[in-house]
Amino acid sequence: MAPTRTRRVRLAVASGAAMAVLAPIAWFWQDSLLPDAYSAMEHGYADTGGGHAVHSGHGRDVTTLTADPGRPADVSVRLTARRERFRLASGRAVDGYTLNGTSPGPTIRATVGQLVEVRLANDNVADGVTLHWHGVDVPNAADGVAGVTQDAVAAGREHTYRFVADRAGTFWYHSHQVSHEQVAKGLFGALLVDPAPSAAADVDVVALTHLYPGARTIGGREGDVPVEAAPGARARVRIVNTDNGPTQAWVAGAEFRVVAIDGADVNAPTPVRDLAVPVTSGGRADLAVTMPADGAPVRIHIGGPTGIVLGQRTHTITPLPRPAATLDPLGYGSPAPLGFDPTAATRRFRYDIGRRPGFLDGRPGYWWTVNGHAYPDLPMFTVAEGDVVRMRISNHSGEVHPMHLHGHHFVVLARDGKPATGSPWWVDSLNVADGEEYDVAFVADNPGIWMDHCHNLPHAAEGLVVHLTYVNVTTPFRIGGTAANEPE
Amino acid sequence: MRMFYRILAYILAAEVVVQAGAMALAIAGLGTWVDDGGVFDSAVMQSDELAFPEVVGFIVHGINGSIVVPVIALVFSFFARVPGGVKWAAAVFGLVLVQVTLGFIGHGIPFAGGLHGMNALALFAAALHAARRARVTTSADTAAPASVAAPV
Repeated sequence: MAPTRTRRVRLAVASGAAMAVLAPIAWFWQDSLLPDAYSAMEHGYADTGGGHAVHSGHGRDVTTLTADPGRPADVSVRLTARRERFRLASGRAVDGYTLNGTSPGPTIRATVGQLVEVRLANDNVADGVTLHWHGVDVPNAADGVAGVTQDAVAAGREHTYRFVADRAGTFWYHSHQVSHEQVAKGLFGALLVDPAPSAAADVDVVALTHLYPGARTIGGREGDVPVEAAPGARARVRIVNTDNGPTQAWVAGAEFRVVAIDGADVNAPTPVRDLAVPVTSGGRADLAVTMPADGAPVRIHIGGPTGIVLGQRTHTITPLPRPAATLDPLGYGSPAPLGFDPTAATRRFRYDIGRRPGFLDGRPGYWWTVNGHAYPDLPMFTVAEGDVVRMRISNHSGEVHPMHLHGHHFVVLARDGKPATGSPWWVDSLNVADGEEYDVAFVADNPGIWMDHCHNLPHAAEGLVVHLTYVNVTTPFRIGGTAANEPE
Repeated sequence: MRMFYRILAYILAAEVVVQAGAMALAIAGLGTWVDDGGVFDSAVMQSDELAFPEVVGFIVHGINGSIVVPVIALVFSFFARVPGGVKWAAAVFGLVLVQVTLGFIGHGIPFAGGLHGMNALALFAAALHAARRARVTTSADTAAPASVAAPV
């Protein structure tokens, strides 16, 4: 009798203990499951940053936030996306994605103020495609985020993007549907916007740096890429980092200036040498050099294995190890008016990136958090048109995050409490290293629903994505659903 | 139950062996690749690219490190009636939590990565010890803990 009861009690205690361990795990697991289709507007919680969230009910649909539909296009481009096996410029065969048969896709060139119209056709990409105009503050309907501003363009379908190239500079475009896969395998290209009165350099080179499967490249070429440049010529090298990790650029054979960052001119850039220039994932840096009069070549090192070698008679130059010192844009160039007063902020947000164990859509792991919350329970930064917005971005997650805000450029005011002293440092992609804290500001002047996410695209696919939304803007599109929208 | 407990404990010990081997393989492969002219930087590290064949070691380490065996072992320990079984299963579980945490902290603070390597040996020893405690099968196993049954 007694042994039976002892056994029962023991079994009950063991079962209770097992439940105590398993029940919370099961609850967290089921709580993390995502529905088959959901709106970017539905999940998470509104963070109004101390301002009002006045939803009057008269919503503006994102599809109405367009460039002037009556204005004819100045630059028309048709791009056809294909999944195929193709050859890089280096001759290497790659299984990936092309636009008009090549990767990188064609460089699109416009002059500031022109209306650019791009018709994207999807030939055979089963997952669907979109195009996002990275760094161009386009109208929201042209932002190209599947499930937020449009449905993914299915195979056999087309979609037209229209936007005014609002500022001169170096930009790029890439798919924002299953982007962690499609960008890595080639669905991207460069977009250059020239200033109105052409102050063009003698030599103007686009350096899209990309790691294809098996190949480190610049514009599809491997190793050193030779470029013709006469002695005394002024050259501009536009570095675009299309990979998931930050890279560095440095120059052998001449001093150089960083004349633009993320499509925004640096004010009064001074000549420097023996400094490495950081270019974060998704970011751009335009380097200007004047070729030595004696005809010696100049090498722009980009990352470890690739570079541009400018020269005429010879392109042979001894590689230079990466300089130990790094150019810090916080103090580079000279101050200039911002065009708005960041101290008169009407909204203040914090964007604190962390990491913790848990479940993401049922998968156990160590996932990213924003302000202590994990995807999809993330803040929705809510603003009204005309707000001056301050944001403090900090990172305690153990890894670097290149943070990219769609539709806006923001200016860096301070890093780790140290105020900016150089040229206004306008960015759309900001390298936030572990332990760093940035104070940034911008004017909410482009209504819509905008992603504000990590441009290490696998990190975005792991949930490091929040949205900046304007009051009264709504979207009819859904993540998942029949269009199988999967922006990351 | 006792048999399951024992097998799970041995599996955990074996996983530590696999984890150590996978890292050593990957790091050796990385060294060879760099010697052959490969460049390892953030672009490579943050990609899904198999830059060299031994990268598979890093991948195995990552997948294997997130397997949930310790939770199952802990639950089995409640039923297994192994002397000190719950205590040692809990110890293994705790060491795994410490191990995973140190592994991730090591991405930002390399010193934590060093502790991650040392804690692996503590975890290995604890898992083996737990497995061996479950080996005792005397007729008195319900009444006498293993320590009492041990020769004096």
